[in-house]
Amino acid sequence: MSVAGDVSTILASGVRLTGPLAFAACGEYIAERAGTMNISVEAMMLGGAFASVATASATGSATIGLVVGAAVGFAVAVLHGTLAHRAEINTFVVGLVLNSLVLGLTSYLIAVSRFDSHQVSLVSIPLLRDIPMVGRALFVERWPVYLLLVLVPLTWWLVERSRWGLELRAVGENPRAADVTGIRVNVRRRQALMWCGLLGGFGGAYLAVGEVGSFNQNMTAGRGYIVIAAVIFGAWRLGRTMLGCVLFGLADAMRLALPALGVTLNGQFLIAVPYVLALLAMLVFATQYREPKALGQPFERGSS
Amino acid sequence: MDPAGGAASALQLLGITKSYGSVVACDAVDLAINKGEIHGLLGENGAGKSTLMKILLGLVHRDAGSIVYGGKPVEINTPQVAAALGLGMVHQHFSLIEPLRVWENVILGDVGRIDRLAACRQVEEVGLRYGLPINPMARVEQLSAGERQRVELIKCLRRDPAVLILDEPTSVLTQAESAELFSVLRRVVQEENRAVILISHKLAEITAATDRVTVLSKGRVVFQSATGDTTATELARQMVGREVSLRAEAAALGVLPVEQYRVELASAEQVESASPDRPAALRLRELEVDVGGVAVVKRLSLDVRAGEIVGLYGVEGNGQSTLGDVLSGLVQPTSGSIELGGVPVELNRPGALQRAGLGIVPEDRHRCGVVLDMSVAENLSLKALGDIGGRHLLSRRKMHAVARRLVAEFNIVAPSLDAPVRSVSGGNQQRLVVARELSANPTVLVAAQPTRGLDVAAIEDMYLRLREAASSGVAVLLISTELEEVMELCSRVAVISSGRITGVLSIVEATAERLGMLVGGMAA
Repeated sequence: MSVAGDVSTILASGVRLTGPLAFAACGEYIAERAGTMNISVEAMMLGGAFASVATASATGSATIGLVVGAAVGFAVAVLHGTLAHRAEINTFVVGLVLNSLVLGLTSYLIAVSRFDSHQVSLVSIPLLRDIPMVGRALFVERWPVYLLLVLVPLTWWLVERSRWGLELRAVGENPRAADVTGIRVNVRRRQALMWCGLLGGFGGAYLAVGEVGSFNQNMTAGRGYIVIAAVIFGAWRLGRTMLGCVLFGLADAMRLALPALGVTLNGQFLIAVPYVLALLAMLVFATQYREPKALGQPFERGSS
Repeated sequence: MDPAGGAASALQLLGITKSYGSVVACDAVDLAINKGEIHGLLGENGAGKSTLMKILLGLVHRDAGSIVYGGKPVEINTPQVAAALGLGMVHQHFSLIEPLRVWENVILGDVGRIDRLAACRQVEEVGLRYGLPINPMARVEQLSAGERQRVELIKCLRRDPAVLILDEPTSVLTQAESAELFSVLRRVVQEENRAVILISHKLAEITAATDRVTVLSKGRVVFQSATGDTTATELARQMVGREVSLRAEAAALGVLPVEQYRVELASAEQVESASPDRPAALRLRELEVDVGGVAVVKRLSLDVRAGEIVGLYGVEGNGQSTLGDVLSGLVQPTSGSIELGGVPVELNRPGALQRAGLGIVPEDRHRCGVVLDMSVAENLSLKALGDIGGRHLLSRRKMHAVARRLVAEFNIVAPSLDAPVRSVSGGNQQRLVVARELSANPTVLVAAQPTRGLDVAAIEDMYLRLREAASSGVAVLLISTELEEVMELCSRVAVISSGRITGVLSIVEATAERLGMLVGGMAA
């Protein structure tokens, strides 16, 4: 195979692997700006992936699968919010429990059921797809990918320009001052979490009925954690977070492509690459890193 | 009562009473605030100022009394009602969100669509009108304390309040910034006929900036006057007079152990006269401490000699908590030194102060005095693990023996030695801290607000322990906001105001006037 062909293949595969990360990262970004270190994004993605395949098989429509996948992610978020805010269980504990729960549940369900394969359709953009090397990689995609063109600016606008986003940032930085100003801190945090649920579920669903067309056990395989790493890599800025997703997507594509290119490198090592990258980025940019000050800290009214 | 009441009155409080359990925070307070005046509210900690303002803002509900606003009686049940009526407050601790921009902070809490340009314009307009220049696009974290204060004021004034309440607004400001603030307030009352309530304990501020002044003490209005008709000296006496005279009364009635008091006085004088060349047991030299870029403790020097109890007295928030943290080893001073027995302590090593022989009863025992979920016995032996075991293993038997001895010696009441400290009362937790600190045989004992939140028996007990420690030769530094406590225990009183020691008085020199002046940041 020619070098151009290799590049094109890796690029195409990288874009496909970036998609699910980017959807979920938009959600995780919002949740973290509001102060919730949402570990259960892994559960949201995995639950969404399973639900989309099951629904697509039952209805025959991959698109309905996507919608139901997002809904299941939303349900995980509601559960997380209820346990963390109303029952006041530590949010990290809730996240870990939900991740294990969803993994166990989907592994069981996939073992006892059989689903037909469905996949959303490809959209190819005329003219642009004929650009050498990158054309086929970037402009012949499953249609949900193009939603990112709307979703990313929308997420930016919501957080940086809307009143909801302003209150969200206030809550993530200084919940007590926000409370004094009359903002309902935990309500805003739950709303952010639900956004994250919708987008995480959608990201997982896109992975299943978009790219792969079926579900297998532990399909997301830690992509939720990669999403968290991308937000950290992005220093809690949306643009850099998206860049992180692309980098991690490409690293994943390299891992899959290397054997075919005749390079023998331990695949397990490449799985670690995104995390090593995130750590390095944190070290290098340490001085610029400004995480939301109240990230991961629960808020309770009246206590001081 | 109030000659200027009636039509010009913006706000009247009538017989406001509020108790927390058996503590009366406000006792039938009458207060009339007129339009077009700056009304000073002067008082120490616990005088009832904050409770009164919280009632006005709908944060606390009164037990009795009524509020008349604009000629009509009103019920202020929530902060929203207060805001709708036109009562605005600038809180002592800023309620700004640092990473956000100025305009974002100002519109936080509104509803509806965000219009950045309109918000910025409004910030500039309000700023221009009151002489509060600020760049609306600046991030709050990059602003100085004075500029942050401006943002708070703009946030408040934008809502067009009829009554503006400021709680200790100058505690973090420089002199120039304070002067600027007061000229703004003057404009607010003169040109726009609003009313301003200025809560403060600084006498200079009250005499310079207010039109009328009300002094609160122990929840009661003890003095009210036009500011021009009174003096700083008079206000100082009114502010702290009750406690000082109470003490005299109590001594006359024989309630206080006068004999012991005399003995202490005598010994204090002895120490004082005998020891100019003897090194102090504890010597603080030119301590400077910054917290978040703000100088909280400024060039603070103080000596405490063996066998004396020195009180560090002042209104809360004047740097004494930070000094307590420094003496606990939690905060490192930016400059200056601490000497124990004439030897400077290396403050960058954890536990260095403790090893040098300093025991500490910290201000917040739950934060750094005890480990709530560990047992009584474990907490008692935390400082002396070497005594109860070898290099790697602890002997439960030895630990229990030590604990049993201390529990008996310090009258600690606990269900068992293995009960978690969480399960014993506050008074017993404090006894435990004292027992642990004294059992290490310190040469210096620092007690920060040691009786806060304790019942009478536990307070008595604490006083006894501190006196015993001093008479056995320990140098005791008592950091306290309770004047009665300082007057009862100490032979010398150092007064702290805005992070500086404004004066050190021996107990015989400590008249109400002089203390009041020092607390108010003036020389006496």
